[in-house]
Amino acid sequence: MSAAAGRLRRFAVRVGAMAWKEILHVRRDPRTLVLALIMPVVMLLLFGYGVSFDLERIPLAISDQDHTEASRRLARAYVAANEFAPAGGAGAEEALTLFRRREARAMLVLPRGYGQELARGGPARAQLLVDGADPVTATQILSKSDAIALGETRRMAEASGAAVAPPIQVKLWIRYNPEARSAVFIVPGMAAYLMAIVAVLLTALTIAGEWERGSMEQLFASPVGRLEIVLGKLLPYLGLGLLQLLLVLAVGAGAFDVPIRGSIWLVVLAGLLFLAGMLGQGLFISVVARSQLVATQAGTLSSLLPSMLLSGMLVPIENMPLPLRLLSRIIPARYLVDALRQVLLKGNGIEGIWKDLLWMLGFAVVVLGLATVRFKRRVA
Amino acid sequence: MSSSLAIEARGLTRRFGNFTAVDGVTFHVGKGEIFGYLGANGAGKSTTIRMLIGLLAPSGGEAQVAGHDVGRDPEGVKGSIGYMSQKFSLYLDLPVRENLRFFGGAYGLWGAELSRRADEVLELTGLAEFRDAPTGSLPGGIRQRLALGSAVLHRPPIVFLDEPTAGVDPVARRGFWRLIRDLADAGTTVFVTTHYLDEAEYCHRIGLMADGRLVALDTPEALKRTWVPDRVLVARGRNLDQAAAALRAEPGVRAAEPFGAALHLRVDPARWDAVAVGAALARGGAVAVAVEESEPSLEDVFLAVAGGAGTEIQGEAG
Repeated sequence: MSAAAGRLRRFAVRVGAMAWKEILHVRRDPRTLVLALIMPVVMLLLFGYGVSFDLERIPLAISDQDHTEASRRLARAYVAANEFAPAGGAGAEEALTLFRRREARAMLVLPRGYGQELARGGPARAQLLVDGADPVTATQILSKSDAIALGETRRMAEASGAAVAPPIQVKLWIRYNPEARSAVFIVPGMAAYLMAIVAVLLTALTIAGEWERGSMEQLFASPVGRLEIVLGKLLPYLGLGLLQLLLVLAVGAGAFDVPIRGSIWLVVLAGLLFLAGMLGQGLFISVVARSQLVATQAGTLSSLLPSMLLSGMLVPIENMPLPLRLLSRIIPARYLVDALRQVLLKGNGIEGIWKDLLWMLGFAVVVLGLATVRFKRRVA
Repeated sequence: MSSSLAIEARGLTRRFGNFTAVDGVTFHVGKGEIFGYLGANGAGKSTTIRMLIGLLAPSGGEAQVAGHDVGRDPEGVKGSIGYMSQKFSLYLDLPVRENLRFFGGAYGLWGAELSRRADEVLELTGLAEFRDAPTGSLPGGIRQRLALGSAVLHRPPIVFLDEPTAGVDPVARRGFWRLIRDLADAGTTVFVTTHYLDEAEYCHRIGLMADGRLVALDTPEALKRTWVPDRVLVARGRNLDQAAAALRAEPGVRAAEPFGAALHLRVDPARWDAVAVGAALARGGAVAVAVEESEPSLEDVFLAVAGGAGTEIQGEAG
C-alpha cells in the first residue's frame, strides 16, 4: 500500500471513529431523536392544519334594507358559494354591532331601492364593509366579493337576453397550486425551518459538549485532526437531516397532498447543500461559545428567526423592506425554500435552481471555512 | 539524542503574558522508566505535560519526545504517545468497550485489530466484567483504569498521566499503580504527575517542581539522602508534647513534630541516636517512651526542598 493510500485509510478510520461515537451518543439520548424526527412531524401537522391562509365560511353580517326578491338573491349568492357564512343580523344596527364586535369580518348592506334601481336598468348599489385590521383576510374578502358580484351581473345579463361578451376577457389560470392551498406553500418552508433548527442546534450542542466535558483536550492530544473532528461530527447529523427532509416530504405528500413533481435527487442535493451550511453554522457557534447553554441560545435564535421570517416561508420576500430583502440574500433557507418550491411544485430541473444551489454552496463553504479556522485558533 | 532516551527537555519554558508557568526545565527520561513529576497545584506540572504532548507550544527551550521535536513536529509526538488528562474525559454515556474502541479508532486502529486490542486492554485493566456497562455507572477508581486503558490501547511507547489518581480511594490507587508498574515492566515509559507523595515512592525517578522550576531531580532514595541527611526517628509514649518542647531546644535536634499519636524527629546523626533521644524525652517528663529509627519519607524531602533551598536547582543524577 502506498503512503498516500495509508494516510487516506487512517483519515477514514479516524473520521469513522468520530462519526460512530456520535451515532452512539444520539442512540443513547432519545431526546435528540425526538427533537430530530418527532418534532418535525408534529410541527408540520400543526402548521399544516392549524395555520391556514385559506378562508372559508367568512362570517358575513347582512343588512337587507330593501327586502325585495333582487336583494335577497344577491345575499343568497354571497352565502351560496360557501365562502361566506351568514352571521345573522337583519337590522342595520344589529349588523353593525356584529361587525364591530368582529363576530362578522365583513358586512353587506343592501340599501332600500336596490331592487328598484336594478329593475330600472341603472347601476344598483350595494355596500360591502370589510374589516381591514387583518389585511390578508381583507384582501381575500375583496377578491371573493368581486367574483360573486361579477358572477351575479353576468347571470342577470344572460337572463335578460342582453348577454354580450365583455370586450376584454381575462382568464385566470392558477398553476402549480391551483386551489391555493396553504399546506402546499408551507411544506417547503417548514422543511427548511425544521432542518435549520435541528442541524444548527444539534451540532452546536455536540461540540460545545466536548469542550465542557474536557474531552476536546483529549481529542487534541490524539492524532485526530481538526478536519477529522469536524467531518466526524457533521456526517451523522447530515444523515439525520436528510432523513428529516424525507420525513417532512413524506408527511407533506401523505397528509397534505404536496406533490413531488421534479427529481427527488435534486431535492436531496438541495437538502444536502443546505444542511452543510446549517451544520457549519452550528459548528461555528459552538467553537465560539464553548458552553452548551450559550450554544443552545445562539443556535436557536440564529436558525429559527431567519429561516422563519426571512426565507419567504411565511412572508413573501418581495414584500419586505429593502434592508430585510438584502439580508435575506445571505439566508440559505431562502434558497432552499425557493429550490424546493420549484422542484416539488413546478417540476423544474437543475436549470431552474442552479443559482439557489450555488448560493447554498457558497454559504456552506464560507461558514465551514470560518469555523475550521476559528477552531484551530482556539488550540493554544 | 541518544536512542535510550524517551524524553529529553532542555531549558523548556512557557510564559503566559508576564507569568512564567514553566521556567527553563531540563531533564531526560529513559525508556521504560517511571518518571514522577511532583509539585503543588500551580507549580507547572500540567503545563509541562501539555508542552511535552504537543498541545502547547513552548515559549523557549526545546524537547524531544519519542524522537519528535515538540515545537516543530507536535503531530509526530501525538502519534507516538498516550495521554490521560487531568480532567476525566471519557464519554460517560457510552459503554466501557465503546470508549476503548473510540480512542483506538482515534489512533487509527480498526477492524479485527481494534477488537483484539480492546479485549486485551479490558483483560489487562481488569474491566472485562464491565465491558457493556455505561461508563457513567462505574465508580471513580474503575473509570480511572478505563482512562488508562484508553491511553495505552494503541501501544504507545510513552504514556503521560496527569494526576491520574486524583480523588481516588487508597485501595483503588494501589491497584492503579500496579497497572502502571506492569506497563513499565513491559517497556512503556511512564511520565506521571501526582501530588500524593506516597505514590511517588513507586517512581524510578522524581522531579520536584516549585513555582515553575525543577528544584530537585533524582531517585527517591538519593533525594532522601541528599535532602534529608538527618537521622529520622519516631517516638511513641505519653506526655510527648511537653517533652518535645524541651528537646527542640537541644543542639542537633532539627525537628520534633507530632504526627498522629507519635512524634517525628529529625536529628543530627553525629550527636543523636534512638537511645539518646529516648533518654532525653524521659528526662523531659515523657512516660513509657519507645524510639525507633525510621526512613525519611518523600514528605520530608518535599518539606526540606520547599522550605529551604527552594530555588536551588539540583543537578541530574540519572
